[in-house]
Amino acid sequence: MDTLSTSFAPAGATSRLTARVASLPSADKALLALLFGAALLALVLGLVGGAVTALARAGALTFLPDDAYRILTLHGVSVFFYWLYLIQAALLLVLAAAENGRGLALRPLAWTGAALMLAGFGVSEWISATGTPLLYDGSPELAADDPRSVGVFALGYLLLSAGLVASAVCGIATVLQPRLRGEAGEFTSIGFALFAWAGFLVVSAIAATNAFLPGLLWALGAGPFPADHGTEWHILFHNLHYLPLMAAVLVWYVLSEHLTGVTSIHGPRLSKIVFAAYLVFVPPTSLYHMFLEPNLSESVRVVGSLLSLFVSVPTLAAFAIIVSSLEASARARGATGFFGWMQGLPWRNPAMANMGWAAVNMMIGITFAFVLIQEKLAPMLSDTFFVPGYFHFFAVGVLTQTFLAALMVILPALGGGSLWRPDLLRRMPAVVTIGLLIFGAAGITAGFMGVPRRVFDVGYGGMAPAAWPLLMALVGVGATIFAIAISVTVYGVVRTLLSLRPSGGQAPVVDWRTGSRGVCAVPAWTGPLSVAALIAAMYVFTIVAFQLIQSLPIIAIGGGHGH
Amino acid sequence: MSERHFTTRRGFIAALGFGAVSLYGAWAAYGAAPLPFGGHSGHKDAARETDADGHGGHGAAEGMAPEEFRFEHDFFVRKYAQKDGSVNPHADADAHGHEGDAHGGHGHADAGHGPGAATASGEPADLYLMAQKFAYSPDVLRLKAGQAYRFRMMADDITHGASIQLGSASRIIRLRPNVVTEQTITFTKPGEYLVYCTVYCGQAHDAMHGRIVVG
Repeated sequence: MDTLSTSFAPAGATSRLTARVASLPSADKALLALLFGAALLALVLGLVGGAVTALARAGALTFLPDDAYRILTLHGVSVFFYWLYLIQAALLLVLAAAENGRGLALRPLAWTGAALMLAGFGVSEWISATGTPLLYDGSPELAADDPRSVGVFALGYLLLSAGLVASAVCGIATVLQPRLRGEAGEFTSIGFALFAWAGFLVVSAIAATNAFLPGLLWALGAGPFPADHGTEWHILFHNLHYLPLMAAVLVWYVLSEHLTGVTSIHGPRLSKIVFAAYLVFVPPTSLYHMFLEPNLSESVRVVGSLLSLFVSVPTLAAFAIIVSSLEASARARGATGFFGWMQGLPWRNPAMANMGWAAVNMMIGITFAFVLIQEKLAPMLSDTFFVPGYFHFFAVGVLTQTFLAALMVILPALGGGSLWRPDLLRRMPAVVTIGLLIFGAAGITAGFMGVPRRVFDVGYGGMAPAAWPLLMALVGVGATIFAIAISVTVYGVVRTLLSLRPSGGQAPVVDWRTGSRGVCAVPAWTGPLSVAALIAAMYVFTIVAFQLIQSLPIIAIGGGHGH
Repeated sequence: MSERHFTTRRGFIAALGFGAVSLYGAWAAYGAAPLPFGGHSGHKDAARETDADGHGGHGAAEGMAPEEFRFEHDFFVRKYAQKDGSVNPHADADAHGHEGDAHGGHGHADAGHGPGAATASGEPADLYLMAQKFAYSPDVLRLKAGQAYRFRMMADDITHGASIQLGSASRIIRLRPNVVTEQTITFTKPGEYLVYCTVYCGQAHDAMHGRIVVG
């Protein structure tokens, strides 16, 4: 590379997004600040719970069994429900308000939703800390003799669900309002994505209600024991971890435009199809979570196995749209070199660094996700530490880093302050990734060896392989590293939220919009090569897993593994 | 207007989205493809499995009710219990040197499938393993390498795991309460294998384990 005639935006310049956020009514700003603050609090609680859990598994901390599993419950409840749902609700509302241009429609409903979600947050945290440890899935069978814990735990999630529905309806109304007033025509790709995302949030809330209302009714003596909780949970759980992925991709769209000025070179129609594809591809692919179930029918196994191959279609397509749009725009401005065009991106902006490393983490996560979803490998990997080993690449590396990146852009506009120490914050994503690589490598190896995912003492009286405790110690090291790096970022974001004084300096962005004639005439190989590398990695690790399972001193048939 | 390079065409971008579907090739190479073309394994799978027992298609044992399982389990444990607390289904045949099934004709589901009869007929021998808070019954099983065993397993109270650690990896088994799960397993190497719970089941979950001693 390479000369790239990058236009740096003038210092202090505001993008369309930040300008619109800055001009929101103060009532909206107050609501959004409340939701962002609550989401960050949930993240902090989850982060502390997770770090303590990892250190306890590593043998560095010791707890009584119930206390250990309460901490694990707090970790899961805080991160997977309240951090991820509160931040989604807040981002949906702020992006919808910015899309609208005048603020939120149905504002009282948005406040009601926030109140319900915060009430749920309080209820869930309290019962997780004091009740029978139910882990984040709240399985009633763990507390058949303690209806109070089951009922209160379910109540927390039901309040969250009700609040999510209210927030999503408000988001939909806000996106639709300009069209109903005749002030806007066709949806922009972002507007359409917000509409689809809000709809998906409602579906997720319905799935949560379906899973947890029976537990509440049973606890109140108004219904039978919820024996089917496991099945209902699978449906919710699948939504639970793909919905935030859709949100992360949408945030990448928004941030790409904010950071570079680039919108999709493929036009809004393709983007809309991709966002709609989440609704098509994600719900039917949930069957692969059930491969270990002993009474799963053969036909469901076959269909589930086949559908699982399609689960990444929308995410990979969106990734390809974003990367090809950025690359083509850079090359149209004179960038050369295979990967040299990337040097022109505003890496000194922490939001860009977060987003870039999130893409790397996504590739690693998808690689191992496709090993796990193979039906024949489920009897080797499901219920082992392989699961947390790979999904932290998504939960921390992709989702948390992406949403924090959005906060780095939105909060200064919302509060009028400045981003706290961008030079420090932009280094954190690399540290997070280093920690995740240690955590993931040790955790995935442990999973291959059979280390169970929810056991604190993996010694089994000396019968377990000697490598198990060592691998758990490495998991603790990795978790400590990424927990510290995320904590620094969260601290910076909270300082930004509380900051009211603009410093004058803005995190750098570039402007690749102008001078992009012939943008599509240049080749854009980074996307295809990334997908090719991903497929190669999937092949390698899938083959490793098959070789390993075939090497075991056992010949087996039956038992929820499909044959 | 310049002509689009093919890497920036919509069709190409959309096709990239389907990139992961190409993993079907790896699955097919190992006989793990779900469809009947490209290496579908039928009733054999990638994990070195055989279709010897004819119970293909379902992990749950068809037709065995929980109460029947409990009855057979209790009989199995009583019949083969050893002084050291372990259960050795070969003890009877080893001690008496005959292959008759002592409880044949008593109406038990494993009539004719005891270890002695099984060895002679090539049929797998029936075993019963019950998981309950926070132990297995039996918690120590003594088996023989090369012999096929039809493990019938059930969780008695809540969901448990009955996973077997096999050295470099494990075979993960999930047991639902009152659902009889069946797997036919042949250990190919002697050794002492850890059996452990891989589904969180309560306060003493960490301590829930047993052993399979293969001689």
